[in-house]
Amino acid sequence: MRTTRSGFLSDSDRDRLIAAAAGLCAERGYAAIDEEAIAERAGLTEAVFERHFEGKEECLAAAENAILLEVVAAVSRSYSADRSEWENVIFGVREILVLMAANPDFAYLGYVFSRQMAPGSVREINETGHRMLEAMLQRGWDYSDSPHQPACAALGVLGGAQAVVRRELAAGRAGRLPQLLPDFVYIATVPFLGQNEAVRLARHAEGLVLPGES
Amino acid sequence: MDAQQRETLLRAMLTELVGKGYGDASVERAREAAGVGAAEFEAEFDGKDECLFAAYDYLTERVVERASADCDQADPWPDRVRVGLESLLQAVAAYPEMARALTRAFPGIRPAAYERYVSLLSRFVPVMSEGRQYSGVEDELPGEVELLAVGAAEAIIFGEVDAGRAERLPGMLPEILFSVLVPFMGPDRAADEMRSAAAAT
Repeated sequence: MRTTRSGFLSDSDRDRLIAAAAGLCAERGYAAIDEEAIAERAGLTEAVFERHFEGKEECLAAAENAILLEVVAAVSRSYSADRSEWENVIFGVREILVLMAANPDFAYLGYVFSRQMAPGSVREINETGHRMLEAMLQRGWDYSDSPHQPACAALGVLGGAQAVVRRELAAGRAGRLPQLLPDFVYIATVPFLGQNEAVRLARHAEGLVLPGES
Repeated sequence: MDAQQRETLLRAMLTELVGKGYGDASVERAREAAGVGAAEFEAEFDGKDECLFAAYDYLTERVVERASADCDQADPWPDRVRVGLESLLQAVAAYPEMARALTRAFPGIRPAAYERYVSLLSRFVPVMSEGRQYSGVEDELPGEVELLAVGAAEAIIFGEVDAGRAERLPGMLPEILFSVLVPFMGPDRAADEMRSAAAAT
């Protein structure tokens, strides 16, 4: 049996079910899985599943919550008051990419499934996370010399980066995500700081890329 | 079946998909809408999935055609991006149901269907490459800058379609244009293009 364990989850039955649901969604999509399949993948019985969740939607909502909380925790851990605001953004993005590379099923769940495949309750959790990241990026305006950015500039930044992430995930290349840090740093900063500063920060980020799969 | 019937059938399948969801989308109803008999259908398609995938390919071809139809290759690249984006936004606003099929109903079926959506976005990447010539930092643009720009537009369009506000999209052309151009041209020149587009609308 394939492992269902994930680096940020415990070995409890509940977490094993969550990891199994994330893995199955990445492989088959929502319609093709059921509670029995999730329990079987987790090495548990359907009765155990029913003790923890009312159905697959609730289980996947828990999985989406788990990855969202881990993203928040990873970004928080990366923060240092000794760094500039933008340097903290770089370290925060790096931690997200490393987390996703290490947990491709959850990356697929968070970036692809919850956005375009999931039922309402899972999607709402995803949208909450999306709004949080958008709000973080909108702080970039405080550092901008250009007063002309439209209201959707931060959404565009996020959308650009996520399109690249989704392409990598769809191609089964989650391990490559950490290497894309300089590209993401460029897109996150260019609307607010301009091209020269965005290039400088992207170059700086090249030195911070953690080894990953190619 | 003739080409017209086939097109009607494919559109009807997408309408079924958006209206009923994948599980309840009915080949029979789509066939009836297109005046296609069961034997004709079976001669062309292996089943619901094959028809849906063909319908999605048909739709994405129309989207790509529509985005490039009004572009004059003699125009500067930023103008062509604006014209293509404008055509695309008008089409999305005019056919919100098809836009939902494009962005959610079909890609959401399963990972293999989602890959078609990724492929659609990738088709706009070569169009963006010319933007590198407009860069203020020359060859220092990131390797993924084209998809970063395409993804910016996609995120804004997706959000409006998903919220049932597709009709607003043509009015958002200037700001979406900013998000597409800013990775190549920087904020000041992208804002100039945004203002020109706003003045022209």
